[in-house]
Amino acid sequence: MERNKLRRILRAAWPRIVAIGILLGIWQLLVIVGVQSPGGEPLPGPGDAIGEIGYLIHTDVLVPALVQTLERAAVGYVLALVLGTLIGLAVVRVPVLRAGVGSLLAGLQSLPSVVWVPIATLFLAIGGQIENAVYFVVIMGAFPSIAMGLMSAYDNIPPLTFSLARSMGASGPRYYRHFIFSAALPGYVAGMKQAWAFSWRSLMAAELIIGSTANSGLGQILDNGRSLGDLPEMFAAVLTILVVGIAVNDLVFAPLERGLLRRRGLVPA
Amino acid sequence: MNIAFAPRPAVLTLEADDAFVTLQGVTKVFGHGKRAMTALENVSLEIARGEFVCVLGASGCGKSTLLSLIAGLDKVTAGSIEIADGRPAVMFQEPALLPWLTVRRNVELPMRLHNVDQDQRNQTANRLLAMVGLVDFADHRPHQLSGGMRQRCALARALAQDSELLLMDEPFAALDALTRDSLHDDLNRIWQETGKTILFVTHNVREAVRLGDRVVLMTPRPGRVAQMWDVEITRPRELDSFEVSGLAHEITARLRAGAVGNGAE
Repeated sequence: MERNKLRRILRAAWPRIVAIGILLGIWQLLVIVGVQSPGGEPLPGPGDAIGEIGYLIHTDVLVPALVQTLERAAVGYVLALVLGTLIGLAVVRVPVLRAGVGSLLAGLQSLPSVVWVPIATLFLAIGGQIENAVYFVVIMGAFPSIAMGLMSAYDNIPPLTFSLARSMGASGPRYYRHFIFSAALPGYVAGMKQAWAFSWRSLMAAELIIGSTANSGLGQILDNGRSLGDLPEMFAAVLTILVVGIAVNDLVFAPLERGLLRRRGLVPA
Repeated sequence: MNIAFAPRPAVLTLEADDAFVTLQGVTKVFGHGKRAMTALENVSLEIARGEFVCVLGASGCGKSTLLSLIAGLDKVTAGSIEIADGRPAVMFQEPALLPWLTVRRNVELPMRLHNVDQDQRNQTANRLLAMVGLVDFADHRPHQLSGGMRQRCALARALAQDSELLLMDEPFAALDALTRDSLHDDLNRIWQETGKTILFVTHNVREAVRLGDRVVLMTPRPGRVAQMWDVEITRPRELDSFEVSGLAHEITARLRAGAVGNGAE
């Protein structure tokens, strides 16, 4: 029984393990070839980076930074979710808004949210308090995906669903609950998933650029490494940022989406 | 032989209190100006309580439009539609089941929308699932069902609306012949058990003759009632019985004549 379970996990995981292995192999190869920074510092290998992660954990740097960053990610993401949902609903409900706001949202979505960093710094990062500026950048990065996801989810509801709801005399909150929200849920979750990727990128850009004397998260570890010329620290930070991004996607959004689609018969069970 | 399917005048008047659904001079025009298309022209029809009426016609004759007007999904351009009581239940050509709900939940949906309490919902759902033969599939999701089962589920859901009038828009058109045949049997039985009034739209002549008390033939462009037949063949009827074939043959001949007439334009 236990063995079967292990085998199943292995079978699901092996393509990922192979991909990571290839990546690490290429990285190690570059180290062996002797790639150097212009300053003559050798490229740290995967082992060096992982060792550095251990060191950063041991010296009580990494975990508080990670907690700080995840806290920001969670707060920023939830704010973006609320804002994106409200705007998406408004656009869906009011046809006049659709024409104007619809294309604006598409534009905002393609705008790299890092461009908001200088503005946010100037207006919101007052007296060393960077939180508001960080949240602003994360929200601007993530909310268009939520709103767009909601819009396209609504647009993809089969017309027959509306006819059905009307023929059953559904109206008001019940109409939304039993027909519209349920029908739009997979598209909405797809938007949420994409918004996570955008908000994570935005958060890293914000943390990297908006410096602070206080505990400043993963982005500041990276910036710290840069200013000290500490290559292993930089690679340790990049690796951690990558792993968190993948982990949140794989452990939160991917199962949520897969479960939804499977229940509806949209992916093979 | 003619006794079995006497042709009737195109406009039929019943006693006033007999009519459950009354259509008077119903006209539907889509679009405006040069692009205007008259889908229905001056359609008058009365349906008695408990009657099974089949509206028959080639595609594009406005029969589905007629049904959606009666369902209240669209508005008439001229004329009037009166239904004695309640909102009609509708069954579409596609099952239109909600894929995120189980079979049972789909059947319960109309009751949930109208505040029926849990016990009552359960009871009714059980009864209806038994009626359409889906008891063993109550906890399945729509994608796990065959086409026939999906339409059975849609039928149970329409019945759960507890409406006197059931509107059916070519509900069996996409099914294979064997499945359709068994659904015909079931629909006939359910109609007899429940005493619903049914308006059934189809392009299948034999289906219309097999199921209906009355067959209303429509001709296209613009959609008009061409002729009606009372079907007085004893139920349950067989699709390939002598009587059903005979009347189907007569109606098909009339349908062809209409088609030829329209082909000249």
